[in-house]
Amino acid sequence: MAVPVNVAVAPAGPARTVSARHFVRLKLRVMGNNFRGQGWRIALFVGGALVGLWFAASGFFLFAAPGLSGNGRYAVLVAAAGGGLLVLGWLLLPLVFFGVDETLDPARFALLPLPRRTLVIGLFAAALVSVPVLAVSVAVLGLVVTAWALGGWSAGLVAVVGVLAGLLLCVAASRAVTSAFASMLRSRRVRDLAAVLLAVVAALLGPLQVFGLAALRETDWTRLTGIATAIGWTPFGAPWTAGIDVAQGRVWAAPLKLLITVAAIVALLAWWSRSLESAMVGTASTGKAPTQRGVTGGAVAQLFPRVATWVRRDRFGALVAREARYWWRDARRRANLITIAVVGIFVPVLVNVTGGDFAAEDGAGFTAAVSDSSPVVVTISLLFVGVLASVTLANQFGFDGSAYATNVVAGVPGRVELRARMTAFSLYVLPMLAVVAVLLAALLGRPGWIGLMVGSLAATYGVGLAVNSFVSVLGAYSLPETSNPFAMNGSAGMAKALLTVLSMVTTAVAAVPMVVAAALLGDAWLWLALPVGVAYGLGTALLGAYLAGDVLDRRQPELLATVTPRR
Amino acid sequence: MTGEHPALALRGLAKRFDGTIAVAGVDLDVPAGSFYGLLGPNGAGKTTTLSMAVGLLRPDAGSAWVLGQDVWRDPVAAKRLLGVMPDGVRLFDRLTGAELLAYNGLLRGMDPAVVDQRAAELLDVLALGDAGRTLVVDYSAGMKKKIGLACALLHGPRVLVLDEPFEAVDPVSAALIRDILTRYAAGGGTVIFSSHVMEVVERLCSHVAILAQGTIKRVGTIADVRGGRSLEQVFVEVVGGRTATGDELSWLSR
Repeated sequence: MAVPVNVAVAPAGPARTVSARHFVRLKLRVMGNNFRGQGWRIALFVGGALVGLWFAASGFFLFAAPGLSGNGRYAVLVAAAGGGLLVLGWLLLPLVFFGVDETLDPARFALLPLPRRTLVIGLFAAALVSVPVLAVSVAVLGLVVTAWALGGWSAGLVAVVGVLAGLLLCVAASRAVTSAFASMLRSRRVRDLAAVLLAVVAALLGPLQVFGLAALRETDWTRLTGIATAIGWTPFGAPWTAGIDVAQGRVWAAPLKLLITVAAIVALLAWWSRSLESAMVGTASTGKAPTQRGVTGGAVAQLFPRVATWVRRDRFGALVAREARYWWRDARRRANLITIAVVGIFVPVLVNVTGGDFAAEDGAGFTAAVSDSSPVVVTISLLFVGVLASVTLANQFGFDGSAYATNVVAGVPGRVELRARMTAFSLYVLPMLAVVAVLLAALLGRPGWIGLMVGSLAATYGVGLAVNSFVSVLGAYSLPETSNPFAMNGSAGMAKALLTVLSMVTTAVAAVPMVVAAALLGDAWLWLALPVGVAYGLGTALLGAYLAGDVLDRRQPELLATVTPRR
Repeated sequence: MTGEHPALALRGLAKRFDGTIAVAGVDLDVPAGSFYGLLGPNGAGKTTTLSMAVGLLRPDAGSAWVLGQDVWRDPVAAKRLLGVMPDGVRLFDRLTGAELLAYNGLLRGMDPAVVDQRAAELLDVLALGDAGRTLVVDYSAGMKKKIGLACALLHGPRVLVLDEPFEAVDPVSAALIRDILTRYAAGGGTVIFSSHVMEVVERLCSHVAILAQGTIKRVGTIADVRGGRSLEQVFVEVVGGRTATGDELSWLSR
């Protein structure tokens, strides 16, 4: 066995080439090991898979409907609109809600002698092995059925190729975008640019909204088909419509559309590969803090940020100050704040305003919009904003990770801890919510509704704080220690999705009285909503901190153990 | 009252993770005023034991007392007496050194003026004052250990529990940490720390305990445990280390 190997000169001499297969097997192994001896994780996984299957089945029948009914008229519409939505979903959902599965963290491969091309293709292949990809592939099989039914086997075959390319496109898009955003948010200098970009991405929701409302209102289907045909020539619709083009006799279009798709995939992978490199080396240095002018004041004065100068200098104050600093300095938390700001402004504005001015293009559009909205609709849309804002705290201890040990060692009482966390988060969120209310009132031309809006927001947000106090204490989970703010562990992703939904539903249910009151009480509610909503929100938030704080006191070490990342 | 109680007393502490036993019943008395070294190879259960002793990890069985206060029955009273520097645990590292100290001080219910004064002093002595507005996350490993020690010392604890204070620390910082710990012990404080660096333990400690496979194998004053030999010899014998024969790994030499 004593064969002298020249370690220094030819490290990879007889080494076999690494292929995507290795990455896929590694991913499967990591997923498998995550389940070992963790019954609840398997249960969560199965639950998630079932939910995915349910969505997959309904998607399948939606896509297959034109083919099964033998009616080719809406085939392009369904394929382009549905497929386009799918791509958009893969782009936006990881950014806004769920995070991207980083079971295989790119930084772990930094030291291996792998060409970047191998790494990107390998990670890409591994990313394809996931429940969402499986679910979507089942759904889009519906398109194959449609193409087959309308155009025979040749169209069906083209549809298969198109659908596969489309799947690759979805995954490549989600990887490239999250990776690019991650590296942008990591560097402190460009974070403002990232905020603007995220706003632009979220603004894409606008045309979508218009499109959806138009689909409901307009009986002019030919016009929609025109839009769909146009979408079919963009990467959003190209892979999905290729098979239908063949079925409808536009054989020449299919190769062009496949070419568009492939070009888009290659471009996205190239983009991903560039940001991947910064993700790999980025972990070593997270960028130097701006060397500001010298240190001013004592240590205590430095701890308290300008937004929190009024807080008293004690335990509660220290917690508030530290949390307030963290909401800004931690890229993961900052990404959440930006999401709240963008979605919180866009969703109510779109729901209450945009619908009208599409329907009426004759210059009277704005008044049409105003008459469209009602206190109930406004309350519901703001309820969504409040829910979204508060659900950010569902895993507030997970953000801290093992650093939470500091608070355990110091023996911080649970109630103080939770009240301080609520206060610090509210320092950022309450002004945002106020802006939302004022902006919405101005756009609707209804300054009298401001009380109603603020009341609804305050009530939902307060109830949400209470609900999420419990969720964060009882259902915490660890986040991977990477600098990618969108990173999730595979199994934690499932847990997060379920917990998020649970907490959002509970919050929404608890806030329903505001909607009922808006529906029943009429004009009187416009004045009552403000005091009632604020009192309801504040009361439940304090009660939540009081009760959940008691639970926290009893399970501090357990909470620390659950939020500490396993190594 | 403190005269009668040991600084730290552990009785039958045990913990298992997923079926593997990490700590299998540890009994230990750390006399007040002693400089106590907890020795053990990697995976012996040092971190688990210390975590259970300071209230970070709930034991499956057994109890821990700090100067007579039960850590798990009355955590607040016990934690008040303790200064802790855990290992492998992050600090709130997106604060600057000064901010982190202020946070810890106020969290312990200290007066802001006292926090300011002590923080300035600690940053100065530990040579962290130059770091200015640098976040702790951007500190080097040695600086992180030093700021962790500063956080543990800030409120003037009676008992100092340090997990691997000399791990990944350069000689200059190590000397500084040693110096501060010696002064703290000379002033009547009790230090207990874990390590697997023999020479540091030999140089500093009055007492030592050797932990392996989750149980205490040897315990006593350093002279008792050594029994005339070097600490390293005793340690390797207790732990049952393996020495290379020279035949394996022959490809390492050309």
